[in-house]
Amino acid sequence: MNKKDLMLILIIALISISIIIGYRIFEKEGTKKALVYYENDLVLNIDLSINQERVYYVDGYNGKVKIIADEGKIKVDSENSPLHLCSKQGYISKSYETIVCLPNKVIIKIDTQEDLDAIVK
Amino acid sequence: MKTYLKYIIFSVFIIVVSLNFLSSNNNKLKEYNTNLFYMDTYIQIKIYTTSQIKADNAFTEVEEIYKKYHQLTDRFSTDGGVYYINNNTSTEPIITIDPILYNIIEHGINWYHKSNGLLNINIGNVVDVWKKYRDQKSGLPSINELKDSGDIDINNIILLGNNQIKNNHPNIDLGAIAKGYTTGVVGNYLEQNGIDKYIINAGGNVLVGNHYNNDLYKIGIESPIESGDIYQVVKGNNISVVTSGSYERYYEYDGKLYHHIINPHTLMPSEYMKSVTVITEDSGLADTLSTILFLMPIEEGKEFIKELDNVEAIWFSNDGEIIKSEGFSKYE
Amino acid sequence: MKKFTRLSMLLSLAVVLNIIESVIPLFNGYIPGLKLGLANTVILFVLYIYSFKDALYVSILRVILVGILRTGIFSIAFSFSLGGAILSVIMMSLFKKLTKLSIIGISIIGSIFHSLGQIVVAIFLLENVNMFYYLPWLLLFSIPTGIIVGVISKELVNYFEKDLNFSH
Repeated sequence: MNKKDLMLILIIALISISIIIGYRIFEKEGTKKALVYYENDLVLNIDLSINQERVYYVDGYNGKVKIIADEGKIKVDSENSPLHLCSKQGYISKSYETIVCLPNKVIIKIDTQEDLDAIVK
Repeated sequence: MKTYLKYIIFSVFIIVVSLNFLSSNNNKLKEYNTNLFYMDTYIQIKIYTTSQIKADNAFTEVEEIYKKYHQLTDRFSTDGGVYYINNNTSTEPIITIDPILYNIIEHGINWYHKSNGLLNINIGNVVDVWKKYRDQKSGLPSINELKDSGDIDINNIILLGNNQIKNNHPNIDLGAIAKGYTTGVVGNYLEQNGIDKYIINAGGNVLVGNHYNNDLYKIGIESPIESGDIYQVVKGNNISVVTSGSYERYYEYDGKLYHHIINPHTLMPSEYMKSVTVITEDSGLADTLSTILFLMPIEEGKEFIKELDNVEAIWFSNDGEIIKSEGFSKYE
Repeated sequence: MKKFTRLSMLLSLAVVLNIIESVIPLFNGYIPGLKLGLANTVILFVLYIYSFKDALYVSILRVILVGILRTGIFSIAFSFSLGGAILSVIMMSLFKKLTKLSIIGISIIGSIFHSLGQIVVAIFLLENVNMFYYLPWLLLFSIPTGIIVGVISKELVNYFEKDLNFSH
């Protein structure tokens, strides 16, 4: 390993760490919801503020997709696809994370709504 | 090379530590909550102060204020106040009333003149007729029944100074102003006692002080046609946000909804819009204006508040259109 | 002919490494696309001992073979891998020519652009820009994985460079 390698490592480390810190700073705080889409149609809207594990099934292209939601996080537990990429991904919790189950045409996004101090009607 | 590495690692460390420090708030203020029920609404109060004792003392006093103002302004509360004026059977020509009630009535009369008669606190007789039909949930009063229900002339409320009012049997209804007015009094009380960070939500009458975290309060305005749907978020400190709408206290008859905000000119429920929300500093003013704006066409309302300082409003029209006053963007 | 045989053996080695790696659960989950990239030792080796062209062929053939054996050749995952593999080889070769990075640095470059290539393909195919959010983590992890792969490749290249006839 020479000096140039070390410089490369430092540059990459700095860039990635500063982007990660940037995410932390700009991450929206508030009440989280998970939006589940099948072929770009919204099929489920799950409240993630509830502290309880809940199981949902969505009809995917290759059969049922089992989704588990908990407080602040959501994952695909099982689904029928060649590589099981989206069930291997595990939980997502940040507003910029997504789970994409391509073979099943199912996408899960996290939507963060600003917490309100009061509501008038 | 190794020294560079040290510097870079050190500076990254410093950045991470300082960011963590900044984001954690070492605020000694704690949040305290209470819920009350007066003036036919649930009142939620949240204050930020340093100890439970201070919070309890404040809540006790706040409850006293709501209780007292409720007794004074509620037409059916036989403990005194407006009931005493409306139902006075004595032959005395002049009666003396509580200075608080005197001031509220004076506020109401002032805004009768400023609103060209739209805000009429002597409309109790007409309100009673509509209430009768609302309670039985069917039927419609005829225009004659409304007209013959009694006097609604504001000039029959005669204030004589020194908390005295002429005993000529008006039928005063303070429903349009009492809640906001009282909430404003509570806000003033809290501030005078060193609590400047608070949120009061008295059934759609919201008053906020300074923010507990050097931020802005976020107040959601709910859609009048879809419950739970927030169509606008208002951001600000030391403001009052009050909505008047056609979706509360109504009844349905013959496929049509009849709500409780009555136009004193037509004696009928006003139908210019679904709802209007007023934002201004003074809670009593916000409540008063939301009723007045609800009783006039949206375009007229926009002109009306142009004449007033620091008053903004947002309308939800009958066909679902959202219309904002000129300076509304400062709260977005 | 000797070269052809050796490249074929290297190709099968790359395929085997690739499959072994996908079975090891260590790097599965958490961040999509995160891998140790052991197959890249073979690609690096070919790049240093043979040429850019050979490395590109081996790399593409590896993706196709793994595709046939495991994922199916027309799957989305196949397109990701192909995008990542091609971009990775091109960039490693460019950096090798234009900079003074050692094989370890080049290995890191390969790791970075493998991730980047996958993300770019993902964005085009999935029309989902959110994939970019994983980039900083992939970048960060490319450092240790790149170093490990680089060190192994370095030893391999040093060992076989003594055998002067190997590349012919």
